[in-house]
Amino acid sequence: MEHLLEAKELSKYYTTPNGPLHAVEQVSFTVDEKTTLGVVGESGCGKSTLGRVLVGLLDATGGDFFFEGENVTHPDKKKRKELRRKMQIIFQDPYSSLDPRMCVSDLIAEPLKALKLARGATLEKKVQELMDTVGLARRFAYSYPHELDGGRRQRIGIARALSVDPKFIVCDEPVSALDVSIQAQVLNLLKELQIEKGLTYVFITHNLSVVKHISHDILVMYCGCMVEKCPSKELFAQPLHPYTKGLLAAIPIPSLHVKKPDIVLSGEVTSPVNPKPGCRFAARCPYVSDLCKQEMPKPQELAPGHFVACHRAKEINSL
Amino acid sequence: MSLLDIQDLSIHFITENGAVKAVNGISLHVDEGRTLGLVGETGAGKTTTALGILRLVPEPGKILSGSITYKGEDILTMSEKEVQDLRGNEISMIFQDPMTALNPVMTVGDQIAEVITRHQHCSSVECQQRMLEILDKVGISSDRAKDYPHQFSGGMKQRIVIAIALACNPKLLLADEPTTALDVTIQAQVLRMINDLKKELGTAMLLITHDLGIVAESCDDVAIMYAGNIVEYGSVEAVFDHTAHPYTVGLFGSLPRLDVDVEFLSPIPGLMPDPINLPSGCPFHPRCKLATRECMEAMPEAQELAPDHIVRCHHARQASDPGTVLGDPAIRRPPLWTQH
Repeated sequence: MEHLLEAKELSKYYTTPNGPLHAVEQVSFTVDEKTTLGVVGESGCGKSTLGRVLVGLLDATGGDFFFEGENVTHPDKKKRKELRRKMQIIFQDPYSSLDPRMCVSDLIAEPLKALKLARGATLEKKVQELMDTVGLARRFAYSYPHELDGGRRQRIGIARALSVDPKFIVCDEPVSALDVSIQAQVLNLLKELQIEKGLTYVFITHNLSVVKHISHDILVMYCGCMVEKCPSKELFAQPLHPYTKGLLAAIPIPSLHVKKPDIVLSGEVTSPVNPKPGCRFAARCPYVSDLCKQEMPKPQELAPGHFVACHRAKEINSL
Repeated sequence: MSLLDIQDLSIHFITENGAVKAVNGISLHVDEGRTLGLVGETGAGKTTTALGILRLVPEPGKILSGSITYKGEDILTMSEKEVQDLRGNEISMIFQDPMTALNPVMTVGDQIAEVITRHQHCSSVECQQRMLEILDKVGISSDRAKDYPHQFSGGMKQRIVIAIALACNPKLLLADEPTTALDVTIQAQVLRMINDLKKELGTAMLLITHDLGIVAESCDDVAIMYAGNIVEYGSVEAVFDHTAHPYTVGLFGSLPRLDVDVEFLSPIPGLMPDPINLPSGCPFHPRCKLATRECMEAMPEAQELAPDHIVRCHHARQASDPGTVLGDPAIRRPPLWTQH
């Protein structure tokens, strides 16, 4: 089957005075239509950079990215504009990603105007429909972002992304600025929209409980590299990479009847500027060997659809 | 007798637009060596409560009524000098954001030593020694004492904030979202460290958090706050396993869980009320599916469902029972909130 998205060894480096910062390092994955790929990792692991590279807000340093089977890593201006109609992004912070001087209806109409998709009465009608779709009461049409709470603002962000009828949306931490009760409302909305409109998501978050709830597949990143990728259920049932195991064990579970493995990862994330050769996780890994310090592990498929980038994964999990 | 006993505390902020009712008549107590979790969403009044305990509520906030008894003495009637002797010595606070809680132009060693010098009568050599000891306890090597805050990562900075809080072996620690700004693996390290040190030093703790997972792992008792009220209060076992208040039920329903699979979450409809303009009766009634006319008219009294389990709800017994017939839909929320 044709994948909607395919990334092949996609990399993004930033130039810094101290040398290149390897924000995303040779990440490969595929996403099928109407599914959600969750991208998880801690701050600074390159997940937002990856999201921005996918929608073309940043230019990839290396690798290839295919959308609907076509290589769109470095599209020309015309192609880029065409892609804007098909892929959109919802940003993390509903407080800073909206122009404070535009009212709700202008904000939602902006993408439609920019791509010349509607105007006049059609535009107005379309904006109203979008507000209904995301559950914003029409009486807010002339309110400004500062008058609304975080949950409603994030709904504006979602309406803007939906306005051009995209196929694919990158959701960059869309609920992390919201309180749990509002977060649940927005997560349900995103799920309903996916079913209704057949959307494909790449859902970026640091919250594993959220990603488990919304994703079909999960890609775990650490310091720019992909460490594990597999179907959502499998990741939680049988994590294979030592980092994933530590990450899962670190999450506090709101129940008194769950026994968790007693793993606390020591140390902190190493700097992605001029990284040393070898596995990025080597400094914190309880299973580190000499090979890990010399050579970066390539992702290998240990079970169908379950990719792990670890030299000792087989050994540790006795596969 | 409890170490800290708060009775009927109300704190309002008097603004041009009216009084912001941040804390409305809450009562709670922290016993020696135990941890009480204070849980609620943004704006529930958690931080204001903690600041009230130290009499640090910023202008235009006013403590209107109530008492805060620490070791038998009312903090609210103490002189400023007496309160200063308590702060950082008997009761200390860990602030939420380690990035802004530290002085950027002072070495971390000096910042820790500052508290010790203020409260302990010891020579500067002893003081330095204690500073290095406490630095070692929070897992930072002593040769970094002369470094400045910007040279540390977020997790390390939070360790330093904790070192400052623990420098004088306080009896009570107020921890205001100590790990919210940290990544999960670092959060796990810091929480484990706080719990270990707490045990070692026998400190009692008021842990403010919005994360019910942290409560399950670190607390003995828990108080759930909503719009300045404690709506449910009791041992962690009682509140987690016999949840009785509809708001607490809603909080659990809103959480995506690692241990349970659901297709859609069951969020609480609507939004937090405006603290200037709180709804009549029970402040939760516009969002509550059990609401009846009674809820709209009268604030429910705190009732004891079981020993160590207090709930403020007219329908507490029904909320915990899944077979209950829902309340009167006409009462539920004014039209303003329906369309969200």
